[in-house]
Amino acid sequence: MSTMTTTHRTTRTRFISKDTRQAILMWLLFLPLGFIIIIPLLYMFSMAFTTEANQFVLPIRWIPIPPTLQNFNKIFADPLLPLGRWFFNSLLVASVGTIIILIVSSLSGYAFARLEFPGKNFLFSLLLFSLMIPAAITLIPAFLLLRSLGMLDTYHAIWWPAAASVTGIFLLRQHFYAVPRELEDAARVDGANRFRIYWQVCLPLVRGALVALSIFTFLGLWNDLFWPLIVLNKQANLTLPIGLVVLQQGSYIQRGLAFAGAFVASVPVLIFYVIFQRQIIAGITTTGMAGQ
Amino acid sequence: MATSTAATASQRSSSTAKNRRWKTLKNQLPNYLFILPHFFLFSVFLLYPIFRGLQISLYDWKIMLTDQRWLGLANYQALMNDAVFWQVLRNTFWFMILTVIINVTLALIVAAGLKHRFTGSDFFRVLFYAPGILSVSVLGIIAIRVWEPQLGIINYYFVNVMGFPRVNWVSDPTLIIPVLSLTTVWWTFGFPMLVFIAGLHGIPEQLYEAAKIDGAGVLSAFRHITIPLIMPTMLFVVVTQFIAHMQVFAQPYIITGGGPGNASRSVVQYLYETAWKYFRYGYASAISVVLALIMIVVTIILFSLMRRRAEY
Repeated sequence: MSTMTTTHRTTRTRFISKDTRQAILMWLLFLPLGFIIIIPLLYMFSMAFTTEANQFVLPIRWIPIPPTLQNFNKIFADPLLPLGRWFFNSLLVASVGTIIILIVSSLSGYAFARLEFPGKNFLFSLLLFSLMIPAAITLIPAFLLLRSLGMLDTYHAIWWPAAASVTGIFLLRQHFYAVPRELEDAARVDGANRFRIYWQVCLPLVRGALVALSIFTFLGLWNDLFWPLIVLNKQANLTLPIGLVVLQQGSYIQRGLAFAGAFVASVPVLIFYVIFQRQIIAGITTTGMAGQ
Repeated sequence: MATSTAATASQRSSSTAKNRRWKTLKNQLPNYLFILPHFFLFSVFLLYPIFRGLQISLYDWKIMLTDQRWLGLANYQALMNDAVFWQVLRNTFWFMILTVIINVTLALIVAAGLKHRFTGSDFFRVLFYAPGILSVSVLGIIAIRVWEPQLGIINYYFVNVMGFPRVNWVSDPTLIIPVLSLTTVWWTFGFPMLVFIAGLHGIPEQLYEAAKIDGAGVLSAFRHITIPLIMPTMLFVVVTQFIAHMQVFAQPYIITGGGPGNASRSVVQYLYETAWKYFRYGYASAISVVLALIMIVVTIILFSLMRRRAEY
């Protein structure tokens, strides 16, 4: 049988190996889809560097000649469109939020994986129950609550509701299960208390899951439009996604500005994506997590 | 004598058991500190709002009032007679069905190709997921210019290059939902694709070898091996896609504003406008409760349907 297939293969692939032929076939199949994916991105990049006057020129000039920074100068200088400020706000919202979520979910995930306490199963089933309820129903009560707490138009209104999320707990709980109990026992014999065991023994061993969770949390907070749109109001407090909507609403007059804003918002995450692509893709395929 | 010793012994053992239980409880009490931070936030911002939302939907809730006017089920009655609500519900269902079907089909086909390693397979994986990294606001800015009837990329190639008649993508009420759906597919199909690749790697390669020996073609193997064995992954993908796209908001909000007319307004967009543009919190809560009920019921139906198929 094996000799038969080898002879068969050699006769059919005298010039190119089977792998190469398969690769060529796949490239032919996927290249059109690749173009559809990449062309809108390239369009955004080139329009960000195209002068306002040339935004509407047909045929489309894919390489702006000469490239201009006028759009960027305008959005960074205009006091009504404080893009630099919004960028900084988004950075603050996403980084502090990620740290809070990481601390809160790892503590709870550890407890549900490794510690015993009365009512544990009941409390865990409450977390499961909340997964079945669509987020839409919590929007108005959470907003009214934040309003009476005086937290509207501050980032507390984004951080603390985000930290109530249960997905991080499920992810980390799975990984804490995989930590060998002997390590904890050894630490206990050495006189470590339960908090030190969590912090110094278990947490370093789930580093991979923590990295995945922080990447997805950061991206989710950086990109989110809906909840910040509800709780933030003052122009100076907005995050980039809302700022882009503000830019876009004036864009029938100034297209280049919207594209320059989109460029500023997406280039950092695209660089981040290229650097961490392995972790991001592994994170999705192993945990089914994504910032949707 | 013997009985009395037995009695005291059992008494003592029960008291030591109680003692021991008390001791373990005392030992376990600090464990609550670990879940306390999350559980506090969870109760305040998730658990309480779920029930509070049900309650608010029974009032004519106004933000400035201290005493809210009780309405009973009047909000729900009004909702049932609200033609706009029925339209946004239809729009959302149509958008969700189109997006889920195209996303799942495209993702599965692409995953079936990309599960093999070849020169450049990693490149395509990274490229196809890339749009999903972008904010929906960036998606909106790009999409407006891509679909624009006069100067957009699509009509440029369709009309100016290939000579088709000009189509008004965004102002035709029958086309706008498919347009938003295709835009969303561009943005999101990478996620189900990656999940499917992982799922396909779980199918033993021997099954395909055996099918090949039995003379089954590629399509037949796909139909009889891939489809049945991918069902558990399919269930996960369809349910998460359904939940995500049923709550679509930003694509119509940014790209069309809900228009033309109400042709692309979604349920969540209607909810948002009812609450934060017209300040009718009670009515908006009723919308959210109805949406939540529909989603829970459909999720349960999906689970039972697909589990039955997965068992075969």
